[in-house]
Amino acid sequence: MKLERITIDNFRQYCGKQRVDFAKDEQKNVTVIHGVNGAGKTSFFLSINWCLYGKSLDNVKVIDNVGELMSKEAVNQAAIGDTIRTSVDLAFLHNGERYLVKRTLQGIKLIDGTVNVEDNDSFTMMRTKADGQAERINNPIGTMNSILPVNVREYFLFDGEKIDNFAKPEAAAQVKQAIYLVLKLEILERARRHLEAVATEYRKELKNKSGQQLRDLLEQEEKARAEIIKAKERIYDLHQEKESAERKIADIDKRLREMENTNILQQQRDRIERELKQRRTEMEDVVAIIRDLATSGYYVVAETAIKKAILLLEEKRARGEIPSDYRQQFIRDLVDKMVCVCGRPFCDGSEEHRTLLAKITHGLPDTLQDEVLNTCAVLQAFEQRTEKHRADVDSAMRRRAELVDIVSSLEAELDDVSRQLKGSPLEVISKLERNRENFHADIQGYILEIGSLHEREIKFVKDIAELKKEIDRARREEKREVLLSTKLDLAQRAADAIADMYQTFADDMRGKIQEKTKEIFKKLVWKESHFQDVKLGPDFNLEVIDRYGYSARPELSAGERQVLSLSFIMAMSRISDEEAPLVMDTPFGRLSSHHRNTIAEQLPILATQLVLFVTDEELRDEARQNLESRIGAEYRLEFSPRTSCTEIVEVR
Amino acid sequence: MHKERLSNLFETFDPAVKNIILGVLDIEQEHISMEKPRVKEHIDEIISAVAKKEIEKLDEQERP
Repeated sequence: MKLERITIDNFRQYCGKQRVDFAKDEQKNVTVIHGVNGAGKTSFFLSINWCLYGKSLDNVKVIDNVGELMSKEAVNQAAIGDTIRTSVDLAFLHNGERYLVKRTLQGIKLIDGTVNVEDNDSFTMMRTKADGQAERINNPIGTMNSILPVNVREYFLFDGEKIDNFAKPEAAAQVKQAIYLVLKLEILERARRHLEAVATEYRKELKNKSGQQLRDLLEQEEKARAEIIKAKERIYDLHQEKESAERKIADIDKRLREMENTNILQQQRDRIERELKQRRTEMEDVVAIIRDLATSGYYVVAETAIKKAILLLEEKRARGEIPSDYRQQFIRDLVDKMVCVCGRPFCDGSEEHRTLLAKITHGLPDTLQDEVLNTCAVLQAFEQRTEKHRADVDSAMRRRAELVDIVSSLEAELDDVSRQLKGSPLEVISKLERNRENFHADIQGYILEIGSLHEREIKFVKDIAELKKEIDRARREEKREVLLSTKLDLAQRAADAIADMYQTFADDMRGKIQEKTKEIFKKLVWKESHFQDVKLGPDFNLEVIDRYGYSARPELSAGERQVLSLSFIMAMSRISDEEAPLVMDTPFGRLSSHHRNTIAEQLPILATQLVLFVTDEELRDEARQNLESRIGAEYRLEFSPRTSCTEIVEVR
Repeated sequence: MHKERLSNLFETFDPAVKNIILGVLDIEQEHISMEKPRVKEHIDEIISAVAKKEIEKLDEQERP
């Protein structure tokens, strides 16, 4: 972040629009803004903070206890009912792109002279890319946090008189916080914590979903398929057994046909069986016809309604309402021409005229009449079909009853033949017939079992179809599980990776800051031979070691503490490579001339851009000379006792 | 740049893990001013995108 320009409008004692261009040249990177106490240095400093972050951002207070932000003079000059606007525009460069941020607060002047200020200010951020295209940034706070987070701001934009805080013995927590924020240890720690939390959620979710469900379903499907195979094999075996029994019966029948004492009875049985087979086939056909008639005769149920509708239409026809004697259009044509159907003209209101008008009024429109006639024809066709359907069903049922009787009678005849053969005095004949009967019983048993197995097979096929649907569902679920499982693995590995590297990184950063702080401190402090070392321990205590090896911090003067703090801040800035300007309000207030001189010499080298708010006394003599060649812009704040306003005057 | 230093820190890790970390660090940076940021959904989006790519990669490797 490199500041380019600020425009202040009606902010505190800055009445009207005033602009400052910051020095940003590499060699001349210092902007000096000087003024006496109360001239408006702190207000200017606040305007930068307010523009970037507002009064507070999230939970971080930026501006507190400073009174009204709106220029009192601007309020004074405004008429009652006028809108007064306070705004600060700040243009800066960051990562090769130009940003323009603007914060505006407005209010209306009331009759009592006070201002009804709107609750919230408005904050906009625009970005101009290298190709010159400007775009409005939708997430200005997030973007600002990526450029210079609000809680890191205080290490770059600070009140010089308060910076010795870091060097106080109780400041370990503050030092740690500064390192955590500026060197991104905080975001590493948060990233690890949040990744861990996300991984825990994934783990919980994964526990609730179980791959066991798919495994169970697949097992069920496998079992069902095994059952079908088993049934098919059994059916095959039963068919073999049945065919074998049938062959044996055929052999017995053949022997009975060949034997003199039985051939007549066997031939009789052959005939009965042929007829029985024929009748049974016929009965199957009749049953199929009855089934078809039962499923296709849906209109039979509407028979009563159809009859009633036909009756209604026939009554209308009997009354001559349908069809009409004449088409409606024909009557209308006659009325239009005022001519009777016989060709004789008639006049308005005559008997003929009235008759024709009545026919138009009471008659049906031609299209409706056509519809009614068509419906009538359709309903009559339905009535005829209903009667035919009923006759067909009756006939089929009668035939079925006849066939049942015929089959029963033929079966009785077969039983009679069998009984005669079993009762034969010849043992060989009766034995053959008993065997035949046993084989026949076996065949009946096989048929029964085959039927039952077929039903079982159908049930399993249905089960498999249902299982397939459930398996597909479970597979889809499992795909989600695979994704969840991969997410869990990645989240956990990412959290572990941060945990693995965190301490190494933190120690490395702490070591680097320690070295840099020492290097800068030795350059800035005038007793560099007395102070041998600067330590930043694992507990983040910033310690200065004297030449005797003792801790020298308790003995540091206020100025030396300020130098140590400044060294630490500069070290953080250098190590973090954070592209941020150093904006310091009264940095030299407590410093003696030596420290002032060395800091004035070193700061422009250590910072990429330096903005100093100083009193004339702070920056004079050698300090001024040391800084002179680096000053790229200089302004003087001139306070007018007449208007209580400050004017920014460009000095160079 | 400090960001590059952070990126280099995870150089030896699986690129998928590294991409997640860098994405999450950006999100955390954007929400650094909040004490309790609601970033879980953002993090889930980052992880989901990387996980889907990883699964696709595995599927492609398994294809004959």
